[in-house]
Amino acid sequence: MSALLEVRGVVGGYEDIGVLHGVDLEVHEGEVVGLLGPNGHGKSTLLKAISGIHPATGGEIRFQGEDITGLPAHEIVERGIAYIAEERFLFADMPVLENLQLGAWIPRARARYRENLEMVYELFPRLRERERQHCSTLSGGEAQMVAIARGLMSGARMLLIDEPSIGLSPGLKKGVYESIERINRETGITVLLVEQEIDYALRLAKRIYLLKRGRIEFEQPAAEADVGAIHEAYF
Amino acid sequence: MNEFFAALWSGLMIGSLYAIMAIGLTVIYGVSRVFNFAHGHVALIAGYLAWLVAFELGASYIPGILVALAVMVPLGWATYQWGVRPLMRRKEADFATLLLTLGLAIIVQFALLEIFGPRVKALPEFFSGSVNLWFGPISYHELSLVVISVAIMAGIWAFMTRTSLGRAMRGVASSVHGARIVGIDTNRVYGLTFALAFVLTGVSGVLLGTHSYMTPAIGWDWMIKGFIIVVFGGLGSIPGAILAAFTLGVIETMVTLYAGSLWIWPAWLAVFVLVLTLRPQGILGGRTA
Repeated sequence: MSALLEVRGVVGGYEDIGVLHGVDLEVHEGEVVGLLGPNGHGKSTLLKAISGIHPATGGEIRFQGEDITGLPAHEIVERGIAYIAEERFLFADMPVLENLQLGAWIPRARARYRENLEMVYELFPRLRERERQHCSTLSGGEAQMVAIARGLMSGARMLLIDEPSIGLSPGLKKGVYESIERINRETGITVLLVEQEIDYALRLAKRIYLLKRGRIEFEQPAAEADVGAIHEAYF
Repeated sequence: MNEFFAALWSGLMIGSLYAIMAIGLTVIYGVSRVFNFAHGHVALIAGYLAWLVAFELGASYIPGILVALAVMVPLGWATYQWGVRPLMRRKEADFATLLLTLGLAIIVQFALLEIFGPRVKALPEFFSGSVNLWFGPISYHELSLVVISVAIMAGIWAFMTRTSLGRAMRGVASSVHGARIVGIDTNRVYGLTFALAFVLTGVSGVLLGTHSYMTPAIGWDWMIKGFIIVVFGGLGSIPGAILAAFTLGVIETMVTLYAGSLWIWPAWLAVFVLVLTLRPQGILGGRTA
């Protein structure tokens, strides 16, 4: 079976600093895949390259069999990939509801706006209560809910989620992970998840990749992951 | 007392013209973070074009204005796509767009000088006659300027808050990356923002052309007034610009009445410095709409 997302030899970075030196990975339909690795070794850069926010300078990225390398970010959303950034990039001075409305910007998502809004409100009932509140006044956990919900509003087939639990309390972290798990289980949306915290990633993901110095060091099924080797890679 | 009310009316009337002028400037800044130093000259292009088509080529007034405003659409779009967009990717984009828009202003000024000459031109008033209120006469023309301006403000407000394109513009203003990851083609939104803002700026040029006069160099005065209003109100904020425009309009006529028109600029700058000392972000800074 061919993969939903295929990344082949992707090279990328910022200005004159290379970050990715030929990354290969693939994600199959319906999977949750964890991308682990120490900070500053290219996990976020890879997600930015896939989503078109910061395009790769080399290599190939294919989604549903089609080459999407170098497409502008808005066309990648139209292809069915939603990027949920670590920085969140919420529309801070706009209410929660308008953030979700803009989440459904692309034509396909606009047509399914009502159903998708019900779906995300069902997933995050808190957001219905906070509908009229500006995002800048939300707690960290609520802001993360908006970021995930806004991504879902695009009707994506695949989510790229970058460190969704960063800066949250242990209780909220658990909540965020449970909702990602539910999204995957109930809607079958494929997830590529970047995570610092190994425990969470192993619990959620079916497979993991370890990215170090801009390359994939190894790939393992989460159930048989060599936790010792992962920890070692972090130091 | 009658003088006071007459000056207050004039202030509100001028304020409504300034508001339309400032909205175009603040919309461009709010969405794209580009300060358009050619703003006054863009307004002049529309004023002169309306004059040319309506009175020199002999079409009548309304077609003249419509042609002038229609030209603003591709002009705004092209200014973004061919002028600003290639510069936005650079690290020194702020400085580069400053030079670009200053350069455009100079080019427009000398093009207008070449085509229309240095003589003062004014557009005729829309209506003649006046109505008497308790403090004195109000001309129908001035009344129409206020009505048109207020209608445009209401229209912009509705557009920004009720339409999906307006919402997308506010989204781009709020977070460019946020806009990109929800699938908004930001270059298209920037281009449309410039087109919309240029039309508004063109309207303000026509209205100012009927109220005062046009010379190829007066674009600088209009731009600087717009700059003060927009910074006073909070860069990028539409309600802030409207509030600032009315405040400064009333200050202008009150100062003229009680101290003389020589004191308009000192008074404007004094209020400007005072407000920015107390509130560096402007009176309604930090909000787009």
